[in-house]
Amino acid sequence: MIEARELRKSYDGVEAVKGVSFSVETGTVLGLLGPNGAGKTTIMKVLTGYHFPSSGTALVDGVDVTEDPVAVKSRVGYLPEMVPLYQDMTPSEYLDFAAEARGLEGPARKSAKERAVEACGLKPVYSRPVEQLSKGYRQRLGLAQAILHDPPILILDEPTTGLDPNQIIEIRSLIRDLGKEKTVILSTHILQEVEAVCGSVVILNEGRIAASGAPGEIGEALKGEERIRIRAKAASGPALDAARLGSLLASLPGLRSVGSIEAEGGALSVELAMQPRAEPAAGDASAEAVFDWAVGRGLKLLELERRRLSLEEIFVKLTSEGELP
Amino acid sequence: MSKVLAVAKRELRSSFNSPVAYAVILGFLVFTSAWLYFVRGFIAANQADLRPYFGVMPIVLAFLAPALTMRSWAEERRLGTYELLLTMPFTEGQLVAGKFLASLAVAALALLLSLPVPLSASLLGSFDAGVIAAQYLGILLEAAAALAVGQWVSSLAKNQVSAFLGGVLLLLALVLVDRIAAFLQIGGLLASLLNWLSLAFHFDAFSRGVVDTRDLAYFAAVSAAALYLSSWNLSRRKWS
Repeated sequence: MIEARELRKSYDGVEAVKGVSFSVETGTVLGLLGPNGAGKTTIMKVLTGYHFPSSGTALVDGVDVTEDPVAVKSRVGYLPEMVPLYQDMTPSEYLDFAAEARGLEGPARKSAKERAVEACGLKPVYSRPVEQLSKGYRQRLGLAQAILHDPPILILDEPTTGLDPNQIIEIRSLIRDLGKEKTVILSTHILQEVEAVCGSVVILNEGRIAASGAPGEIGEALKGEERIRIRAKAASGPALDAARLGSLLASLPGLRSVGSIEAEGGALSVELAMQPRAEPAAGDASAEAVFDWAVGRGLKLLELERRRLSLEEIFVKLTSEGELP
Repeated sequence: MSKVLAVAKRELRSSFNSPVAYAVILGFLVFTSAWLYFVRGFIAANQADLRPYFGVMPIVLAFLAPALTMRSWAEERRLGTYELLLTMPFTEGQLVAGKFLASLAVAALALLLSLPVPLSASLLGSFDAGVIAAQYLGILLEAAAALAVGQWVSSLAKNQVSAFLGGVLLLLALVLVDRIAAFLQIGGLLASLLNWLSLAFHFDAFSRGVVDTRDLAYFAAVSAAALYLSSWNLSRRKWS
């Protein structure tokens, strides 16, 4: 369980995090999403006790990070963005050091190491010096270090950078599994990662929360409009051209804006942004209106598709406009 | 304590995995012996006095201690492992103490390996084992103070090179500051103050075989202060 209340952090007079509050329950993977410089890493550094907040509170399992940093650090597993490895050690020696630092001795250390090595697929490089390891193995060794002591809290700063697609799938499924019992926060700028792994998202921009919630909910909340893509042609008579479709669209009730009209396989396709319905229950009303309009204007609808705003579009929208609409 | 040892162990492993520890030990042995036998003409003088041998050590240590400690924090920051150490359940004090113990162990090993020198000298005449013990105790304390200061400079430095150069300059100043009083022929309070600050001045009594509690207190205080400042430096960074 992690709770951040009104966190602020300035470095050399520059405020990197400007009053951020959120909480993550045990058994949840929270994704911190945002462009570079949004404050993701700073928030993670505060939650790990590496930096103290300039103001506000960060509670990790109920412990204030400034009051008992050592207690916080022993409950947290942390993978920094720049994977912190000693070049001259082998993964085995490195994990031994991490185990000693965490007070793991004897059989407990042995089984912890085995578990972490297995989970992160480090067997093939177990006794090779770190300086000879590929980026992917280094990343996985960093992750092994973070999960070694089976911490209740995991904080992972861009955990899948530098991995190949197969490894990404493996690590994501590992994180999902870990997230069933632990509190996990991961930062990423890969939107699919959030959709694949995270139960909730905080989108950050310029040190502030731009949006938060479950990945699906954010989409709903931000839609503000409904998008419908249609492909249509004239039912009879001369072929439909863009100008005629454009003028016909003027009579479509609830239409807010029209995307560019494109010719596609002997028909025209266009994306329509519709006025949002007052009550969400009326979900299909816009689609019905489009259908009725098309029939009334002598058009044949070849396709009618309701488009969900993807996280990607939300992200671009939020971080380029800065504020919530 | 086991946390301190965990840090010290890792530190020692790194020292001996890199050429630094070997270079420092070898440099220490070669330079101090060459000084004694060739520069001071120990055998030719046929005088069974080891004071010149120990007398040069504060200056040698002013160069070698920073070589051992320059990596302590500057290198951790470069590798990003600084963030690892500071997010593991260590206190700043444990980290500083661990690194200090490891560097002191390397210095102690160098001193141990230098034992053949006084032993060979004892062939020339009868040596007082008590004096030699005092000399070794003194130089170990001097090394501890120099290493603590070196680590403090490393905790402030941006990179290894500046940690080394800064450490050498500061330690040379601390070693030679008593010479200023002698050179300018000033006396009185200022001279006592300059003498009191000097590492070499406090080592001098040890090199004569005298263990003075004031000197013990001085070395303990310098070491403790420098270690405290290192640890304070680490804590301070959390707020900035």
